[in-house]
Amino acid sequence: MKLKFFLPFALLLTALLFLAGCGGGKPTLYLYNWADYMDPDLVKEFEELHGCRVVLDTFDTNEAMYAKLKAGATGYDIIFPTSYMAKLLWEEGLIRELDLTKIPNSVHVDASYLSNKAMDPGMRYSVPYMIGSTGIAYRSDRVEGEIDGWNAFERTDLAGRMTLMNDMRETLGAALIYLGHSANSTNAAEIEAAGEVVKRWMGNIAKFENEQYKSGIASSEFFLVHGYSGDLLQVIDEDEAIVYVLPKEGFMIGCDDMVIPVDAPNAELAYTFINYLHDPEVAARNTEWVYFLAPNSSAYDLLSEEVKEDPAVFVPEELMQRAEILRDLGEDNTLYIKVWDQLKAGQ
Amino acid sequence: MRPSRVPLVVSLLMAVFLYIPIVMLVVQSFNAARFGGHWEGFSFIWYERLLDNRPVWLATRQSLIVAVTSTLFSTVLGTIAAWALHRYRSRLQDAHYLLVYSPLVVPDILMGMSLLLLFVNLGVQLGVGTVMVAHITFCTSYVAFVLLGRLQDFDFSLIDAARDLGAREATIFLKIILPLLGPGILAGALLAFTLSIDDFVITFFVSGPGSSTLPVHVYSMMKHGTPSLINALSVILMTVTFSLVLISQPLLKKHTQ
Repeated sequence: MKLKFFLPFALLLTALLFLAGCGGGKPTLYLYNWADYMDPDLVKEFEELHGCRVVLDTFDTNEAMYAKLKAGATGYDIIFPTSYMAKLLWEEGLIRELDLTKIPNSVHVDASYLSNKAMDPGMRYSVPYMIGSTGIAYRSDRVEGEIDGWNAFERTDLAGRMTLMNDMRETLGAALIYLGHSANSTNAAEIEAAGEVVKRWMGNIAKFENEQYKSGIASSEFFLVHGYSGDLLQVIDEDEAIVYVLPKEGFMIGCDDMVIPVDAPNAELAYTFINYLHDPEVAARNTEWVYFLAPNSSAYDLLSEEVKEDPAVFVPEELMQRAEILRDLGEDNTLYIKVWDQLKAGQ
Repeated sequence: MRPSRVPLVVSLLMAVFLYIPIVMLVVQSFNAARFGGHWEGFSFIWYERLLDNRPVWLATRQSLIVAVTSTLFSTVLGTIAAWALHRYRSRLQDAHYLLVYSPLVVPDILMGMSLLLLFVNLGVQLGVGTVMVAHITFCTSYVAFVLLGRLQDFDFSLIDAARDLGAREATIFLKIILPLLGPGILAGALLAFTLSIDDFVITFFVSGPGSSTLPVHVYSMMKHGTPSLINALSVILMTVTFSLVLISQPLLKKHTQ
C-alpha cells in the first residue's frame, strides 16, 4: 500500500528532473555574473538580434564561484570573474584559450590598459569587462581645503573621522604609492617604510573598515574614507556633498573579465556575446548603466559628458598611467603579511 | 494574591524583539535613502525599481516553484518516514533514524558541497531539479521530526477500535489518521516551506544555469546592486502571506465546526 502512495510521487519527481533539463527550442546562452552588472536592455536587444535566450545566474564572491566550478559544476557559457580569479581559473585549466578571430571587436579594447595593467595582456583567456578603482571619498561640507591625494590621511584635523580599508594589499599599497613605489613592490625595505606610514595614518583614522564606510560617510560619522569606486558611487548618487577623488600619486584599479569555461555548452554564442559587448556603442551604453568603465577605447568618445567628468567612473588617460593592478605576489606575499600583522597587533 | 506581571512583561518584550525588525523593514522599504542610516523622505522608489527588475522576479518565481514543490514532496516523505520510525523498531529503523537525523546536524556548507559532488559524479546536469532534490532532502528531516513529536501523543487504540468496527484501511487513513495528524503535518509543511525559501548555502552549490533562487540573487546584489529593493519585495511577500492567512482562517474555522 505504501508503495502505491510513493510510486506516483517518484514518477513525478523523475519527470520534473527531466523537464528541468530541457529548455525551449531556441539556443540559450548561460551567463554567470554579479547581479545588476549589465544593462538589461542590451541583453534584450541581443536576444532579438540573434534569436536566442540569455539566462543569467549570479554569484556573490569569486571564491564561492571558484569552489563550485572546481567541484565540477558546469553549464555556464560566460563567467565574469575578477582578474586574479580569471588567472587562477586559467592556471587550473578550467577556462578556454580564446580565439580572438571570433571576437573582431577585441580591437577596440583599451590597448594601454592591456599592455600596462592587465594580467592577461594578450587576451589569451580573458577579455576585460569592467574596470573600477580604489580611491578616496570625502564630505565636501565637512572637510576644509582640497583633497587630492593620499596625504589626506596625514591630516590631524580629521583625526578620528577617517577610515582606511581593512585590506592588507590595498592599504599598504596606498602607502607604497604615496612613497613613490609600486603597489606591487617586493622590496622588503620599501614595504617596511610603507608600514611606518600606515602606522602614522593609524593615529589619525577611526578604524580599518571594509563595509560600513558607505553608511558611515552617508551619515557623516566619517568625513573621509578609503574604498571602492563602485561602493562609493552608490553613496554619492544620494548625497551631492560627497566627492570621489582619484589620488594624484596613483591608485589601484580592479577589473572583472569575461571568460569561457572549458565545457561551455554554447561557446559559439558566447563568442558572439563577448563580441557584442565590446561593440563601441554597446560598451558605452553599458558603462552609462552600470557606472563602471568598460575598457573600450572607441567607446570613450561616445560617453556622456556627465560620465566622462566623473572620476568614480571614467579614469582619464593621464591618470590611468598612474593606476596599478594588484598582482598575486606568490611567496613575496609574506613580506606584506609580516608588516601588516605587526600593524594590526599594535592597534 | 495578584497574578504576577512578569509573564506579561516578558511576552511583550519578546513580541518587540521579534517584530521590531519586521516593522523596521516595512518602514525602510518606504525610505528614499539607499542606506538605512537616515530618513530621506517617504517614497515608492524601491517599489518602482522592483517592478522594472526582471531578474529579481525571475529569482522570486524560481524560489516559489522550488519551495512549493519541495514542501509537497518533503511533507509526504517526512510523514511516511515519521510513521515508520514510530511504528516499527528494528536495526533497519535505527539506520533509518540516523539517516533522517543527519541533515539536521550536518553543517549546510558540507551538505551543499557533498550534494554537488554527488550530482557531478552521477553526471546529473545541475538545475532546478537538483535544487529541488537538495531541498527535499533536508526539508524531509525537519518534517519527520515535527511529526515524530506529534505521534508521541497519538492514540493508536483508535485505529484498533476502527478496525474492530470494520473500517477499511483507506477509511482509517482518511477519517482518523489524517485529521488527527493534520495540524502536525501542516506545521511540518510550513517549516519546510520556510526553510526552503530562505536557504542560501546549499542552494548556491547545487544550483545550475537558470536556477538561481532569490537568496542567491540577493547575496550577489551586495556588490553592484541595490539591496534596498529587497525591503520592498519582502513587504510584498509578507502582505501576500498575511492576506492568505487572513482569508484562510475563517474558512478553516468553518471546516472544523
